[in-house]
Formats: sequence, C-alpha cells, structure tokens
Amino acid sequence: MPRSPRRAPRALAASLGLLLTASALAGCAGSGGPETVRFHLSKPEAIPYFNELISEYNASQDGVEVVLDSSSNLQAGFLRGNPPDLGLLNYNMEMARFMERGALSDLSDMPEAERILPEVQELVDQYATYPGRTSVLPYSVMAASVIYNKEIFEAQGLEVPQTYEELIAVCDALTTAGITPFYGTFQDPWTVAQGFFDYTVGGDVDVAGFYDELDSLGTEVGPESEVSFEKTLAEPVGTMQELIEKYTNSDAPSKTYGDGNLAFARGEAAMYLQGPWAFGEIAKTSPDLDLGTFPLPMTDDPEDLRVRVNIDLAAWIPEASGSKEGAREFLSFLFQQDVMDEYNAAQLGYGTTVDAAPVTDPRILGMKEYYDTADFYQGPSQAIPQTIPAANYLQGVALGGDVESALSTLDGDWARLALRQ
Amino acid sequence: MTKTTAAPPARTSHAARPSTARPRRRPGVEGIYYAFLLPSLIIFTLAITLPALIGIFFSFTNSIGFGEWEFVGLINYIAMFSDPAIVQSYLFTFGFATCTVIVVNIIAFLLAVGLTAKIKVKTGLRTIFVIPMVVSGIIIAYVFNFLFSNSLPTFGQAVGSETLSSSILANPDLAWIAIVIVTAWQAVPGTLLIYIAGLLAIPGDVYEAADLDGAGKWQQLLRITVPLVAGYIFINVILGFKNFLNAYDVIVGLTDGGPGTATRSIPMTIVTGFTGGDYAYQMANATMFFIIVVVISLIQLRLTRGRNAR
Repeated sequence: MPRSPRRAPRALAASLGLLLTASALAGCAGSGGPETVRFHLSKPEAIPYFNELISEYNASQDGVEVVLDSSSNLQAGFLRGNPPDLGLLNYNMEMARFMERGALSDLSDMPEAERILPEVQELVDQYATYPGRTSVLPYSVMAASVIYNKEIFEAQGLEVPQTYEELIAVCDALTTAGITPFYGTFQDPWTVAQGFFDYTVGGDVDVAGFYDELDSLGTEVGPESEVSFEKTLAEPVGTMQELIEKYTNSDAPSKTYGDGNLAFARGEAAMYLQGPWAFGEIAKTSPDLDLGTFPLPMTDDPEDLRVRVNIDLAAWIPEASGSKEGAREFLSFLFQQDVMDEYNAAQLGYGTTVDAAPVTDPRILGMKEYYDTADFYQGPSQAIPQTIPAANYLQGVALGGDVESALSTLDGDWARLALRQ
Repeated sequence: MTKTTAAPPARTSHAARPSTARPRRRPGVEGIYYAFLLPSLIIFTLAITLPALIGIFFSFTNSIGFGEWEFVGLINYIAMFSDPAIVQSYLFTFGFATCTVIVVNIIAFLLAVGLTAKIKVKTGLRTIFVIPMVVSGIIIAYVFNFLFSNSLPTFGQAVGSETLSSSILANPDLAWIAIVIVTAWQAVPGTLLIYIAGLLAIPGDVYEAADLDGAGKWQQLLRITVPLVAGYIFINVILGFKNFLNAYDVIVGLTDGGPGTATRSIPMTIVTGFTGGDYAYQMANATMFFIIVVVISLIQLRLTRGRNAR
C-alpha cells in the first residue's frame, strides 16, 4: 500500500535522529585522546590514496587524529555550524558561496600559500573572493580538451588541427573515410555542457571577462544589454550546433556517458569531448589504446588555442572548525611536494605549485604547453549557478533546438536570479 | 448496505479525537492513549512542522541556506511566476500526475478483478504482480533506461518504425510517456493490493442475487463491483495523485529532466534550491507547491466524503 507521503520523512527523521545521537556518543568517546581533525574528501577515486596518507600521518604523531569523512552533507554542516575541519574537494560555484560569505578561514600566512602558481590561484578568485583572505589553496587541476584516437589520425594521415578551418578539414576527411568524427553522448546533459559547450565557448570567448560583465550587469542582462548569453555566445553555440549536426554519431541523443566511453574505446569515433576522468573508463575496455589531447580550435589563429581547466581538488579550513591548528598541520603534510606529485601523476592532474613535477602521461601531454603558459579557462558551464538548468537547455540545443531561444532563456534566468539574491 | 462497504482505512490521522461519545472512560486509560501519541507528535513537530515553518519564513528572505540574509518581501514569489523553468515544471508535473493516476488505476483495477476471480495459480500471480513494489525506484529507472535506450530502438529498427528506432527518452515529445510507463509499473502493485482488499470485502450474496435477477458478468462489474469499491477508487486516486506529484527518483534515473527541460518535475526544481544555493527561492516554490497539494487534497477529501455518505 502506498504510504502517505508525509509519514516516510517522519520515519526517516526518527532513524536519522537515532543515528545522530549514536554518532554524537561515538564522538564523545574519542574526546579524551588526541585532537580530532575531520577531513572531508568526496572524490571516490582519491579516497584510497588519501586513506593511506591518513594512516601514515596518524601513526607518525600523537597530537592529532585525522578522520576521513567522505559522505556528510557540506551545506548542512555549514548551516549547523559544524563543518569539517579540513576540506579537500572540487572547487566550484557552490563552494565559492561559502567562501564569499566568510565561512572559510584565511590561509595566506601559511608557507604553502606562497607556493601556489599565481595564475592557478587566480582561478579561485574568478568565482568569488573574500576581502583580505586567501581561503582556498588549489591542490590539483584537471585540464580537459578534445581526446583523440591517435591510431585513427595516423591511419588517415591527419594532423592535429590548429585552426577552425583545419578542424573542419579533419572532420570532413574522417566523414569521407566513413569514420564518425565526434562521439556524442547527449542523453547525459552534463556531457553537452562540459564538452561541446565549454570547448566551443571557451575557445572563442574570454570566459572570465564575460562572466565579470554579466555579474556587474545583474538584473540588466537581457535583449537590451551589451553583453548577454544571447549576444555574446550566439556564435560559438551556433558553431557547436553545427558541429553536432554534421559530425557526431546519429544515435548520440540516446547515448550516455558510459556508452560513449565504451564506443570510443572500441574506436567507433576519432574524437571525444571529455575530460581526463574518461581515460580510466576507456582503459577498462582498451588499456593500450593510443590517445592524445588537443584544444578545440575555434578561430583562425593558433595563438587563440586554450584548454579547459577545473580545480579538481582544493583545500580549505572553515572558520567554524574547532581544530584549526590540527587541520593546518595536516594540510602542510598533504601539501608536501612529493605527496602532491604522486597524487597528480596517478589522477592525471596538473600540479598547482611552482615546484610541481611536470606531467609526463602522453595522454595529457598535449595540453602541457597551454597549461604552462596559462592559456586556459574555467568551463563556462561551471560559472552558471546550478539552480539554472543550463545543461538541460544546452541538451535541447544539441538535439536541434533553437539556439537563440535557449540563450535568451539563460539571460532571463540570470536576471531573475540577480533580482532575488 | 453502506455499512458493509467497509469504510476505507485511510484516515490514520495523528489527531485521533478522543471520542466524546463515551464519557465513562477512566482518565488513567485515556492517559495511555495520549502516551501512545506523544512520541510521534514530538517527532512530527520537531522534524516536520517546525522545519516547514522555518522554510516558509525563509521564503520571504534572500537566504542561500546559511550566512547573512535579509527580508525581500514577496520577490521570490513574484520571480517564480515569471520563471519559465518553474511554470514548465508545474505543467509537466500536473499533466504527468493526472495521466499516471488514470493509467495506474485502470490497470490495477482490471488486474484486481482478474486476481480475485476464480482462477488457477491465484496466489502465485498475486506475488508476481506485487514484486515491482519492493524494488527501489531509482534501480527500476536505470533498468528501464537501458531498455528504452537500447532494446526498444533495436526492436524499432527491426520493425522499421521511424519513431521507435531512436530512444524515446531523447524525444522531447515522447519522453514523458516513458516516465508514465515506469512510474505505473512501480505504482500498480500498491494500488492493486488496495483494490483486492476492496473486492474481497464485497459479500458474495450480492452477486448471487444479481445472478438470480439475470444480470450478466459485464453488468455485474459495472453495476455492483464498481459502485461497491468506489471508496477504494477514491483513496487510490488521492494517494496516487499525491505520490505522483512528488515524482523524483524515476525521472532522475530516466531523463534527468531532459531532453531540454521537457520532464523536469516540481520536486526536481525544488532540490536544485539546496544543491544550487537558491534556498529561499525554492522555499517559496515549495511553499506554493505545498499549498496547492493541500487544496487539492481537501477538495478530493470532500468529494470522497460525499461519495461515502450515499
């Protein structure tokens, strides 16, 4: 029998209450010993590596006991004034909100802050800043661009394209040879947003500048404003739709991320717009597939080539933490150069410090020259607050929907959000 | 006759008035009843009522869930009505709930009639039909996602159907049908059980009488069975409608609101308020949604009362 909808939450709340009490009691039991540092880390692939580090660290000293927390709800933690003592996770708009409101403590006096590359620290500031503080220290950066199948490119005698014209030539040559140029997985809206949208817009528009303008326009964003999604992004998003229409697999609308990894691993397409996180999945099917990466060219000038980056892991210590000192010590431990290098090498990340070891994995080597000269941008889809269903709109565009109306809807959503916040 | 229709067992309300008809109950015994209610009442107040009131309060602010905030009056509510994403989610959710209620109740009623008739392997069949109820919605959704995106297109290509040869989940005009199918598949068993209970409560002698009067099977179904389970039909419609308005997990597993925003339900937009830092705004949305659901429930309840009194 279907339960009355209001009873289920009640049962849930009751069991939750019990759980909380139980965990609180467990917390009390440990309070006699060393200071506990709750370390929040939610990236599943990273947990084994950091678990090892934690046991090593706990064994090496008696003052601090680090406990891994990979599941608690951050928003709720901050809301209750009980956030983790140290966070190491993806840095994005949602995290930036905590920082913007002063919920994260200042780390600028730590020696680790000196080592961060200024252009990488700048990425943090693009989302939000808090006056006088450096509250977030980037740990690992993921660079993403077009993944291409080197074997197919070699067999067809194709070079990595440097301009938009060359890109189209490559696509046409592949199509003529009966090979799908791009593998699309449009059933998953995020793959449209982080792949096609971010690469086409990022290769054409100054992303950080664009969002700065939008922010200062606020409620003014619309058909009348100088800068808007509809005006500024019409061209790249139009190009995106063109590329999708002409050069992706015909069943892309019903394919998911998982399907894409499998198909690309089997060589069913020459290019794939995904980040380095896909390499591990592709390797499950074809561990020896020869893959490379290159930035999607959107203009006639090779000087314009840029790669998409995101701060995959960044460390912060909340103001509300009860063990800031312990958290800082453990942070220093994590930021030792060899510890960072080993992590980045294993996860295909780029180092964030001046003394970081250079990347060597051939699959991401193609992006090194752009990363080294700071020719990068943070994905434009990531700068749109999650409350606006941008990925869904873009999925609509990928499936052939009207570009103009999708972008003007984004403008409207942006202005409405500015009105109420 | 109305007495025998076994009044629907739904109203297990927390208020359960201590009946005034029997004044001779000793106070000690009554105290025990209150003691039974108290734990639930406390938990209900702390975990549901209080947070709900706080939520409503915050819908008049610009809070993002923590930190400083200030009153903004009705701005959230005004912004809501001009927000195409929210309007779209209301249209979709109510259309979807109406459709699913009809589909689920027709299927469940017919199944129940079949399963209470004199047929072989009745128990075995009942068990099979109830299985979907035990599986979690998100798992069902992912399994069906695979069927819709892979198996169905293969079938469509084999029979040469243009519409079916690509996934209906990727078709903005058809994706909702997939969601109705999966939701119905999951919701039919619960509805079915209530109908079976209702049908079993009908005494056999009314059918005997009908037989003697020369009523055919079809007439018996329409003239006797349907009126006698009318109360159960209403219960199923009310409960079903409310459940389907809360559609979330099945949609997330099937389309994630896509293609475009074609299948975004109201609860899905509300959740983005928490994950996307739009707390106050989506609280306004949730308040609105709550009021609408309460109003609909009251109307339906009134209709039910009228029906039962006959």
